[in-house]
Amino acid sequence: MRRILKWALLLIAIVAVCGFGAFLYFIPPFFTTPPETFGKALADAAPEVSGITDPAERAIAARGRYLVMTTGCIGCHATNGSQGPDLTKYLAGGALKIHTPQGIFVSRNLTPDPETGIGRRTDDELKRVLRSGTFADGHVVPGTAMPWPALSNWSEEDRHAVVVYLRHLPPIAHRIPAPVPGNAITIPGTIEQDYAGKDYGIK
Amino acid sequence: MKDRIRNYACVCTLAAVLTGGLLWISRAAVEAQPRGKAVYDAHCVECHGPAGKGDGASAAYLVPRPRDFTTGKYKIRSTESGTLPSDDDLIGSVRRGLYGSAMPGWDRILADSDIIDVVQYLKSLSPQFASNPPKSIAISDGLPSSPASIARGQQVYDKLQCGKCHGSDGRGAGAVATAFEDDWRMPLRAADLTEPWTFHGGATSRDIYLRFRAGMAGTPMPSFADAASDAEMWDLANYVVSLARKPVWSMTADEIRQFYAGQQAQAKADPVKRGAQLVDTLGCVMCHSPVDEGKRMLPGMRLAGGLLMRINPFGDFPTGNLTSDQATGLGNWTGDEIKRAITKGIRRDGSRLLPFPMDYGSLSTLTADDLDAIVAYLRTVPAVSNKVPPPSRPFLPVYLWGKFRMLILGADLPMEFYHGNAGTKGASQ
Repeated sequence: MRRILKWALLLIAIVAVCGFGAFLYFIPPFFTTPPETFGKALADAAPEVSGITDPAERAIAARGRYLVMTTGCIGCHATNGSQGPDLTKYLAGGALKIHTPQGIFVSRNLTPDPETGIGRRTDDELKRVLRSGTFADGHVVPGTAMPWPALSNWSEEDRHAVVVYLRHLPPIAHRIPAPVPGNAITIPGTIEQDYAGKDYGIK
Repeated sequence: MKDRIRNYACVCTLAAVLTGGLLWISRAAVEAQPRGKAVYDAHCVECHGPAGKGDGASAAYLVPRPRDFTTGKYKIRSTESGTLPSDDDLIGSVRRGLYGSAMPGWDRILADSDIIDVVQYLKSLSPQFASNPPKSIAISDGLPSSPASIARGQQVYDKLQCGKCHGSDGRGAGAVATAFEDDWRMPLRAADLTEPWTFHGGATSRDIYLRFRAGMAGTPMPSFADAASDAEMWDLANYVVSLARKPVWSMTADEIRQFYAGQQAQAKADPVKRGAQLVDTLGCVMCHSPVDEGKRMLPGMRLAGGLLMRINPFGDFPTGNLTSDQATGLGNWTGDEIKRAITKGIRRDGSRLLPFPMDYGSLSTLTADDLDAIVAYLRTVPAVSNKVPPPSRPFLPVYLWGKFRMLILGADLPMEFYHGNAGTKGASQ
């Protein structure tokens, strides 16, 4: 009787370990949303422009929405919740921490919150970051951390549309740590990105 | 005797003052150089490169390319063709930035003294500043713009055959030459003369006059100082100013809708051009081209894949070859297969991409026309044979342990981007 119990317990333990292993093996890597529906989820999450009262601004923001959505700003500028990106906090930043030879950069809050987002930045400042990776304090974010060299190829009018759209996002208070200058890589010749699916913002 | 002593004392004092002054000046000059270099290293290296050769990490993705300071060729000058720019020209470019390029205006970001120092440092990178001093153009008063001047300017535009590059309408219609290279064999666009906010050196009639008069060194834009009279160049400047169209930020809602509809129609008519624009702006090039230790794109490897990403704990994922090569690129993929990979993350063999870093979720929100345009453009990318190995997964326990650490323990597992080409170049030839 006791021997049977011992074997049964052992069997249960083995099954549990294997089951846990299988769970780890099969669980989707980052997001629990099925990959094919990402696009729809992202498109649904991008706030609509229909609430903008000025018709010219609305038309430009619609173009900006398309650019922001398709270019994948959300890929880095999402805020992560426990189940992957929290799409109710669209573009509030903090999904990624990037170690480069120039410093550590955390993806920033792109909503118009005045304290923690872009609310106090002028249009020219925002466009300069999108065009040149250059911030108002003079620091230049490497193209390997933020793909501004690609965004630099937007026409000035498209860049304007993106800024107009960002201005109309619902503001979300989410503080992001400032860049830390200095060589921050451990393996020479690499760029390292932390992406553990957690929020690198300041809680 | 007393006089002689006094004279001697005078001469000595004078000499001492002079020597002191000279010493002070030379020390200031010596100090200015490292100071300028410090400013350069902090703000300019990302694009212009550590040695000022215009080969920074971000340079290869930008059109126009960042300036190579070692050759002494500068586009924006108020000096005669064949000479170097004045200090004020360089300071102006740094301060204002170059519109329509990635060069930002550093005014109010850097102190005036920093801008002056960095310009002195830039000049030290090219020996020609010592041997070929700038020769300023004596700028005439100019002609006020009037319908008559604009009409004359249009005749000058035809006479000088500006339309050959800039098009009969100033925006490329009927242009003979459409693909340009600068002296460094890097791609270049002819300015769209209806978009003055993209004129690198500014859009006043004086700015435009100076571009005709001085030429733009290093580009196919010559100086017209010998081909046209001063008055003709002013008329031409007035004509170019008159070509300006309304930018989207000054349009009414109806005009904006019309403008975007027009853009869409143009994109449909020329999908390759639209596709090139999409591939450039979506950042495809930034991962699908291998880089060297300085993060500079390997020459001739644009879109040829092979940049190794180690995504812990999932394994090694070298980026794919997107060129039109039959054996190693997308040459044999059907349009639908390319679109399926872009929008659903499914490879040609049916296997799946990770949802990251290639953000196919976002790409799946592209319109059907834009997806067609991307395919159309990728078909035209010159074939580069670069056989990229398939992704490799780590040893099973390592994989499970990594996933356990990441998902249960919440550890930061870095994604590492390596330099060098993980593919085998020319493997299939």
